[in-house]
Amino acid sequence: MTYLSNEIFNIRRRSITGIWLRHALAFVRYWKFVMTWVLVEPVIVLVAVGFGIGKLVNAVDGADSYAEFVTPGLIMGSAMFHALFETSWNAYNRIENDVYETALTAPITVVEVTLGDVLWAVTRSIMTTIGVASVAVAFGWLDGWLAFGILIPAAMVGVLFGTMGFLFSAIAPHTTFLTIVFTLIATPLYFFSGSFFPLSTLPDWVEPIAWLMPLTPGVHIARGFALGHLDITHLWAAVYMIGLTIVMWPLVIYLLKRRLVK
Amino acid sequence: MTEESQLNGYRQVNATPGSLIRAEGLYRKYKNIAAVDGITFNVEPGETYGLLGPNGAGKTTTMRMLSGLTPVDSGTLTVAGIDVVQDSRSVRAIMGVVTQHDGLDTGLTVYQNLFLYGFLIGLSKSCAAKRTDEVLEFFNLRDRSKANVYELSGGMKRRLAIARSLMGSPTVIVLDEPSTGLDPQSRNRVWEELAILKDSGVTVLLSTHYMEEAATLCDRLSIMDQGKILDEGTPDQMILKHAPKEVAQVRVAPGSLRRVRDYLHKHEISFREVGALISVTGAEGVAPDLSELDEVDGVRTSYRVGNLEDVFLTLTGRELRDG
Repeated sequence: MTYLSNEIFNIRRRSITGIWLRHALAFVRYWKFVMTWVLVEPVIVLVAVGFGIGKLVNAVDGADSYAEFVTPGLIMGSAMFHALFETSWNAYNRIENDVYETALTAPITVVEVTLGDVLWAVTRSIMTTIGVASVAVAFGWLDGWLAFGILIPAAMVGVLFGTMGFLFSAIAPHTTFLTIVFTLIATPLYFFSGSFFPLSTLPDWVEPIAWLMPLTPGVHIARGFALGHLDITHLWAAVYMIGLTIVMWPLVIYLLKRRLVK
Repeated sequence: MTEESQLNGYRQVNATPGSLIRAEGLYRKYKNIAAVDGITFNVEPGETYGLLGPNGAGKTTTMRMLSGLTPVDSGTLTVAGIDVVQDSRSVRAIMGVVTQHDGLDTGLTVYQNLFLYGFLIGLSKSCAAKRTDEVLEFFNLRDRSKANVYELSGGMKRRLAIARSLMGSPTVIVLDEPSTGLDPQSRNRVWEELAILKDSGVTVLLSTHYMEEAATLCDRLSIMDQGKILDEGTPDQMILKHAPKEVAQVRVAPGSLRRVRDYLHKHEISFREVGALISVTGAEGVAPDLSELDEVDGVRTSYRVGNLEDVFLTLTGRELRDG
């Protein structure tokens, strides 16, 4: 674990804020285009599912309407997409265009680069959460002070999937490889993490697997805040997400170091 | 360039005894091939030092080891007395680095590239802004400050990368092939700017495979090939030691090539063919009299003094530019 020993206990705050600032500056330059994904796309899905499918489906699982049930799930799905995209596709481009290499010529470590990136991934998750949640509030699908708590699972999803994205960018030989981030990770998780239907409707043998999916605990917590009832299961869900993140972290650092310091 | 364009604010190197950069038995292998095979060299404060060699000589690996981008397998490497292996971060705090591919951030403007690097190093926002203005001024890039990086010419990109390496007012800058791929005008401009920086007391380590660049900029240089340093000295010393005094260069039209070869063989004159050019060095390093060849159609003979290219040839038996 020599690759971690020095860097993990010796973190310089300026490195992390500097990397974050880099992403913020780049975002501001292209914000009009990025906002279509932060806000426009998830709101289209929200409206289509909430008004469209919501007409056909009765209220489920403690929610007054299908729209109320689906809103926290869609928000978490959007939070996941943004975090994952940031550290897979965008990070891959930064590897290829020597953005990280240049940063590493400054007094910055690989650990700090990843922390700055994950912090930005979380920022994106929170941006999309605030955007979509505001629209849901306007439609009356999300209310109560407790709904602000959704920002907590949004940030956790940002950290978890921001970390996970590096597992792909760090080993990707080309951008086509990164397609699997969406085909094999993001899209299945989007649909099978309890966002659109309660996991209890799945066949008995599939349900436990769905509960282990990394987005499921995020949706579970978000729904707890949205519908206003929280219990001990939400705490376990949080512990599970944090545990997954901690387990992935050393692997991410190992893979990125192998790619960048060679 | 006028005197006013001097860029100030360098941490002046104190008269501390000893070298600024010191490599001893530096070694790095990839798979089973030694990319850098136990090299030793010192760069003294204020000097411009060159690593001259063809592609694959180990120059870039050496540069990357200095900036912590490549691990050191064995040997020691220090900058201003700081061990690169033990404390790479402190080394990077006092060293500016220009990597081979510029490493500019296409997501940011020219100004932002500089400002952000200053911020990453640890300058306050106001210091970073002030320093950005200074280096933009010095490199005459002020009117491009809002431009996208991809709108710049190759020469501007390289100068921006050099500008970026100066954001932290470094004691020493390390440049990996600063003028490779540039047109002659841009190259001259980069050389001029590097000469001014040297004048302001910055220590420079550069790698190059252009012998003109090494001869123009370097106080001392090492000739590198296949991971090893073959010899070291000032450009003049190296030329005196290893290059012939005079080389005859015969330009030959393809149709006359055979006649020229026959002539040289007949007179037992050894020669080398490089492209459409035949180089001839006689005994004692003086070119033989080739005036008889002038009668052959399409032949032009000229004489030049020995240069670093010849030094490399003597040391390795190969041409520098062939790699």
